[in-house]
Amino acid sequence: MNNTVLEVKHLKTYFFTRSGVVKAVDGISFGLRKGESLCLVGESGCGKTATALSILRLIDSPPGRIIGGEILYHGEDLLRCSSERLRQIRGNRIAMIFQDPQTSLNPVFTIGDQVAEQIKLHLRLKHKPAMERALYLMEQVGIPQARERMKDYPHQFSGGMKQRVMIAAALSCEPEILIADEPTTALDTTIKAQILDIFRDLKQERNMSILFITHDLGTVAGIADRIIVMYGGRVAEAGTALDIFDQPKHPYTHGLFNCLPNISAGRNRLTPIPGMIPSLIDPPEGCIFNPRCEHRMPICSEERPKEVVLSGEHFVACHLYS
Amino acid sequence: MKKISSKVGGLKNLMFIGALLVLGLILLLDIYLVDKILAPLEYFYLFFAILVIFYGLYPLYVNRRLTKYYWERTKRHRLAVFGLSFIAFLIAVAIIGPFLTQDPTKVNFEEKNLPPLGFSIQQSVYDLKTGEFVTRETPGTWKHLLGTDDKGRDMLAMLVSGARVSLQVGLLATFIAILIGTIMGVLSAYLGGWADMGLMRFTDIMMTFPFFLLLVFIIFIFGPSLAFIILAIGLTGWTGTARLVRSEALSLRTREFIMASKSLGASDARIIFRHLIPNVLSSIIVIATLSIPAVILAEAALSFIGLGDPTVTSWGVVLHAGQRTLDIAWWVAVEPGIMLFLTVLAFNFLGDGIRDAFDPRSQL
Repeated sequence: MNNTVLEVKHLKTYFFTRSGVVKAVDGISFGLRKGESLCLVGESGCGKTATALSILRLIDSPPGRIIGGEILYHGEDLLRCSSERLRQIRGNRIAMIFQDPQTSLNPVFTIGDQVAEQIKLHLRLKHKPAMERALYLMEQVGIPQARERMKDYPHQFSGGMKQRVMIAAALSCEPEILIADEPTTALDTTIKAQILDIFRDLKQERNMSILFITHDLGTVAGIADRIIVMYGGRVAEAGTALDIFDQPKHPYTHGLFNCLPNISAGRNRLTPIPGMIPSLIDPPEGCIFNPRCEHRMPICSEERPKEVVLSGEHFVACHLYS
Repeated sequence: MKKISSKVGGLKNLMFIGALLVLGLILLLDIYLVDKILAPLEYFYLFFAILVIFYGLYPLYVNRRLTKYYWERTKRHRLAVFGLSFIAFLIAVAIIGPFLTQDPTKVNFEEKNLPPLGFSIQQSVYDLKTGEFVTRETPGTWKHLLGTDDKGRDMLAMLVSGARVSLQVGLLATFIAILIGTIMGVLSAYLGGWADMGLMRFTDIMMTFPFFLLLVFIIFIFGPSLAFIILAIGLTGWTGTARLVRSEALSLRTREFIMASKSLGASDARIIFRHLIPNVLSSIIVIATLSIPAVILAEAALSFIGLGDPTVTSWGVVLHAGQRTLDIAWWVAVEPGIMLFLTVLAFNFLGDGIRDAFDPRSQL
């Protein structure tokens, strides 16, 4: 498909710690198309953030290192380009938003300065026009009285407002791809809905591709075109939002849905997935999910499951379907 | 004008560069056309003053709200206010004092060993008429308010001159030390890995060197000029700052805004100068204030053991001279001692006050 803007192929990001090698991302592949929102879903520690950081080569090294794979942005491998080129792409073509807005802003500069910083950097604008553009962006993401508030410092902003500022900064150069790493996790529910609205508008109005990372299937429902369910650094199941929500196949995906409160189903108890997320230093043999799986078969602890295409784009990595 | 000013980031920076250019021009004139407009140290000093005005006083004036806030917080420390006033007084004395007092190097044996005003001592004086030594009562005079030393030099003039020397040494050496320490600390924290290892082990080696011995050694090689003393203290005194800045920068480095600005395409230099250093600045200011007295004492100690610059009158030099005549003229040693004591105390109090004022967690 030609309108793929970003393609991740067999990405492997390992962390070399004192107690062993953590295989945070262990051979993940996916493509992101123009104007599409793709959601990475999974528990904490399943490699979602590591995947996102790897795309922009932001993995802290040491201890982390991307040991294999390709990340193709319009066919250009980001893992092999110069750091100069990478800096041009970061923020300008691919922007990223982080989880905790409280710490994502530098406490010693004003909000306006910080939004304008990217603009000056990438668009080579002078101070005044950069500030004007910053103001425009801040109005776009719904910051009231933006002109006055630009002169405020981060501690004078609420969490939701800070996240808006982060989005404004990320949008400053009209990037093609926006990577949002749990952008709503630190926010309360009403603010979360507002922020998700902003993302939806961005996608529709600017035809932006969004890689949305979350652990919350509820958030995903409102925004995702396609969903990738990750477990233990690997893809468990992937498909369109409809595939995943209507016909979840992987036992882990089922488990995730059972953890969601659902008013219409009339259940009054949630069913958690038993057990803990496995150590990625010493992962279980075969299917990484097998110790927690209720459909475990002998083969599950022997052989790593291959990806089985179910229909169109829906595929699952599980022995039940092979 | 506007175009240039926006290129360097505002009118302030433009004026700063302008002031530096003027200073450079004077320096060029000094070298090629006229002789000795200013002494080498004075260039250093002027540069420092320009730096303080543009990046210390001017921002304080612009951000009046914040200045007021810090002043309110510092004010609650009575001792810090005392420290600040004493230092302000000292700076005023150092700048204008030498023009008002007598020549601190003028020797006059007819007025030797005069006690401060209000005191009087018995001392044997050579009587010109009889040609004999007679023991005579010598009271303090208005002409020499703080007395004179055994060569008849005016104590007040010497103390004023000493204030200038001490402040020069204290500020400049601290400035050098802080500059090196900050660069080392930030680089070490930001680069991490082998660079961190290397820089910090180097810092350790610098720390284990007996500091004073090193100073003596440097001065022995390069000669006891004030500029070298300042350089020597500055070049050896940065280790503590480097450690402190490194530890602060390490905790900052993992904060998300660093990652965020990296993800938005900021270069390493930009992250260091815009995100790391401004955030450790308050600690740097505190440690600078607290290291000034240590530097002043180090200079005094060097002068006291006779390794000071013999051409300048510093408190340590006067102290050194005073110990020889301690039995008859106690004030020669005591007066610079009191000045040193008060100065060191003032800087320490101020440092404590600033630390509390800068720390948002401290409940004042």
